[in-house]
Formats: sequence, structure tokens, C-alpha cells
Amino acid sequence: MLFDALERGDVDAVAACYAPDMTMWANFTMHETTREENLQAITAGAGLHRRRTYNDRQIHTFHDGFVAQYTCEVVAHSGAKLPLNACLVAEVHDGKIVKLMEYLDSGKFGRR
Amino acid sequence: MDQYEIRELCNDFFDAYQDGRVDVLRRLMADDCIIWHNVFGRETTRDENLEKYPDSYQGQRRRTYNDRIINTFDDGFVIQYTLNGVMKTGHKGALWICIVARCKDGKLTRIDEYMDTSKFAAWMGGPR
Repeated sequence: MLFDALERGDVDAVAACYAPDMTMWANFTMHETTREENLQAITAGAGLHRRRTYNDRQIHTFHDGFVAQYTCEVVAHSGAKLPLNACLVAEVHDGKIVKLMEYLDSGKFGRR
Repeated sequence: MDQYEIRELCNDFFDAYQDGRVDVLRRLMADDCIIWHNVFGRETTRDENLEKYPDSYQGQRRRTYNDRIINTFDDGFVIQYTLNGVMKTGHKGALWICIVARCKDGKLTRIDEYMDTSKFAAWMGGPR
């Protein structure tokens, strides 16, 4: 549901997946952002490229969350494609995501 | 394997990595274990990985695998950890890494590693 919403750029549907006090941490920024900051970043990021798909999803669940391994393929306005392998670990309580932790190689940003 | 056996295998593996016990690592990895790194985008075999183990320590005095958060699933685990290193220069660095592993019959059969190359210079104490 989360990844499908992200692909569609459906911020309302993404917000529906998040608990009010949800936070997100990424290994390349090293700091936590709030739910609102995360949703703003999704909105702002949507115009930066033509399309973004979350492919090759491998999802494993554990007692209070999941880990998703996937290839995020961004199609730039120029038509250039940038595949990025990423891993997202999520904590889930009462049907909502309370914490997201994202791991990827930011050194690959912008490489063609 | 139940969740306790998987968790024990995970900790044994990282303890062995930390202690430089290549013999233990070899025992904990299946013969056909595959290791994939997001940094290189390719798979290596168990023997290729262990052969390069000493090279990975080049310039480093000590490495510890700390702050381990381990979650298990049916046939594997995900571990998030801080890799703390002390270089031979005395510089201390850290990397934040996530590994997703598959296990079978008490051994690791696949390891997928995710890290950020943009942190490597700070890790080694080079130019920021």
C-alpha cells in the first residue's frame, strides 16, 4: 500500500499509512524527520522527475514491522533512468507505520 | 530454524566478523552462500568474500559491530547496526549499515548488504 501510493504520488494515501507521531531516518542524512516533513518532501520531490517506480520488491514481515528490499527506478524529465537499490525497515503499530529507516547508497544519486 | 536459532546465528556471525574468526565465518555460511552489496551491485561467493576479508581491514586497527537491532522472519533476519572502526591513524569512524540475510539448516545462505559510500571518506578519516 505504501509503495503503491508513493509510485502514484498519492500523498493522502501515504499519509494514511503513517501514525501521527511517525518518524523517518535515513542512513545518508543521519537525522530523523517528522511525518509532516516526510510528506512535504514527497510532495516537493514529485516534480523533480517524470516517474518513480518501486520494483523488485522483496518484503519480509516480523512481529512489529517489515523489511522491504527494492529497486527504485527514477525516470528524469530528460528520459534518463536511474535505478537505485534500497532497503526500508519499518515499525508498525495498530496498522500504522510509526518508524521508517531507509538504507541506500547516496553516492549513486545522479549517476547514469 | 526458529527465531531464537536465527537470532543466535546472526549474533555469532557478527561476533566472528568482529573477532576476525574467518574459520567461524566459513562454518556459519553455507557452501553456496551468496553475498550481494548495494555498493558494487553484484554478487560474490562465500570463498571470494572470505578471501578478501584481510584486505577489508587495510588501514584499520579495530572494528566493532554495535547497536545491533535484529528482527527475524520465517527464513532469515534483518540487522541494523553501527560499524565503529578505529583506524591505524587513531581516527574513529562509523558507518550505518543494514543487512538482510536468509538462513537454512543453521547456516547463512544469502546476505544482502546496504550501506552509503558517501560516508566512506569520513569513516576512513580522509577528506570530508
